[in-house]
Amino acid sequence: MNDKVLLRYGDGGKHTNLLIRNIFYKHFHNDMLVNYHDASVFDLDHGRLAFTTDSFVVKPLVFPGGDIGKLAVCGTINDLVTAGAKPLYLSCGFIIEEGFDIKLIEKIAESMGEMCRKTGVKIITGDTKVVEKGAVDGVFINTSGIGVVQAGYQPKTIQEGDQIIITGGIAEHGTTIAVERFKIKVEGNIKSDCSPLNHIIERIQPKLESIRLMKDPTRGGLATALNEIVEMSGKGIRLLEKAIPISSEVKSINELLGLDPLYHACEGRLIIIVEKQNAEEVLDEIRRCEGCEDATIIGGFDLIGVHPRVVMETYIGGRRIVSPLEADMLPRIC
Amino acid sequence: MNGKIDKDLLTHLINEVNSMVTEEIKIMEVCGTHTQMIAKLGLKTLLSSKIKLLSGPGCPVCVTEEKYIDRAIEILNKYDVTLATFGDLIKVRGSKVSLQEEKSRGKDVRIVYSPLDLIDMAEKNRGKQIVFLGVGFETTAPIIALAIKTAYDRGIDNLYFLTSIKLMSPVLHYIMKEANSQIHGLICPGHVATVKGSDYFKFINREYLIPAAVCGFEAIDIVGGIYYLVKQITQKRENAFQNLYKRCVSSQGNINANMLLDEVFDILDGEWRGIGNIEKSSLQINKKYARFDALNLFVVENQDVKVSMNCECKDILLGKKTPEECKLFMMGCNPRSPQGPCMVSTEGACAIAHRYGGGSIE
Repeated sequence: MNDKVLLRYGDGGKHTNLLIRNIFYKHFHNDMLVNYHDASVFDLDHGRLAFTTDSFVVKPLVFPGGDIGKLAVCGTINDLVTAGAKPLYLSCGFIIEEGFDIKLIEKIAESMGEMCRKTGVKIITGDTKVVEKGAVDGVFINTSGIGVVQAGYQPKTIQEGDQIIITGGIAEHGTTIAVERFKIKVEGNIKSDCSPLNHIIERIQPKLESIRLMKDPTRGGLATALNEIVEMSGKGIRLLEKAIPISSEVKSINELLGLDPLYHACEGRLIIIVEKQNAEEVLDEIRRCEGCEDATIIGGFDLIGVHPRVVMETYIGGRRIVSPLEADMLPRIC
Repeated sequence: MNGKIDKDLLTHLINEVNSMVTEEIKIMEVCGTHTQMIAKLGLKTLLSSKIKLLSGPGCPVCVTEEKYIDRAIEILNKYDVTLATFGDLIKVRGSKVSLQEEKSRGKDVRIVYSPLDLIDMAEKNRGKQIVFLGVGFETTAPIIALAIKTAYDRGIDNLYFLTSIKLMSPVLHYIMKEANSQIHGLICPGHVATVKGSDYFKFINREYLIPAAVCGFEAIDIVGGIYYLVKQITQKRENAFQNLYKRCVSSQGNINANMLLDEVFDILDGEWRGIGNIEKSSLQINKKYARFDALNLFVVENQDVKVSMNCECKDILLGKKTPEECKLFMMGCNPRSPQGPCMVSTEGACAIAHRYGGGSIE
């Protein structure tokens, strides 16, 4: 193979086959994928299914803590998790720009394969297109996923008093991307939180009855996700600023840039709305999960009699509105 | 600044402030970062309603005039250039469109974090002319001056600067002289004072006999500043000026930065969006560095733009009104469709009040 992706790697012939076998099959290897059919056939247990799709166009393609491939697998797995499903199978479609580095495609595929092995999820079908230089920016990936909804879970109406759990420190992915994008020279241990969340749902399965809703705070961050929940439920949130877990690195970088961590995407965190009497118990279970040691209750649906919105109780005792993201955040001038 | 002791101190100071106030007190904070911090802390919900915190013209993006944006867009459309800009200046509309709209039409508009990145950009793209939009106050002016001087020293011939740099003291004089100015105390911008020194703001107290304090940006800096000012105002002390940000601000400021400003810029009249012309309120590239001034190379029409402004941004920028007192606030004027400069930038008073709810969240 050449060291660059050539247009002929997408023509469906011999070279496409080389790309698929030498890179994608090697890293996504499983018995269902390598039977060379256009579609995979599989059996499922009886039950409710969850199905989702997402496209990934992130810049930069590789960042501390992950790359576009890891993001694509985790993102789709996590969307299934928010539906209370055990993720089983994924599809993936690659659109690659002519001239793209083969080693980088392999690195991306390797990350995807690693995440699949870690989570027990299989990529069982896919598609590859190579387009002329300039038609896309590097590589775009689409992943779809299917999973079986776990017994005991279905979204329920949010009630007054319900508590909000976040499963770890916020804004780590978005801040990492901002540092790379704005080429900020910072020293420290800042890396994306990008990771799969299926282990959390396995851990809290016995308590799924008490979960009202789950949501991953991706684009738009915690602030936007909570606003969406308020809009959907018609109930106001009281958010406790001092309870929101934010690492000191994330806080400092955002202060320096004039950005707000509440609006940065998280790619390995879950917002879980749980009925009050079970909140502490669910939190204890979540904290036992790898990477969830900082999980905490950050507020609740206990704004009675006011216009439904997210109101932050600040650490000095003041109150202010937390609005949804209006537009992309940019560093301040002054 | 999250510990219990600090919170107790803040609570104590806020209680003291509230107990001192018997009649309405208007305090202006000039810097957009102060306005943002006050809103993020929810400070207005803790202070007595008799204390009115007013925002001044300290958001550099908000006070950048339409004509300037129009010129940038004209250069972008008439010449094959890369236009580089800071932060949310890209969202500001000129008389017709914004740079963001031009970028979405395929124009080469890039966001840079530091003007010094421009030197790299210019050296790596010798065949391309790069125009940087240099806006801001005394805070960002030194780094723009350094970029110009570095380009001069390295003999870079493909980098140009379209500047609209404003000075803080002339606009404060303008506000204080306004017949209706009823401001009782002033929180001076800590960022500007870091460069210019605290002495730069002494004139507020000396000439206009109102107390002033240079403040930092932590909760304790701002609450401490309000406490200091309210105490001076209620005890009717006329001779009151304090630098409460000594950990960053000296009386003389950053001497090297000021020497650089003197070397690269001349002080001329300046146009302020929403306010108009203010004498000797802008920094312009001087004769020695004139070849870096974009307006000396790129020919643009010098048309005056008449923009009809239905909102009350001028009164808000001058501290006469709060955003909530404008008839268009939340009624047709919002960050997606700003009618005036204060709603344009994330640091504008109206955008901040819209985002955080100002003093009222019910």
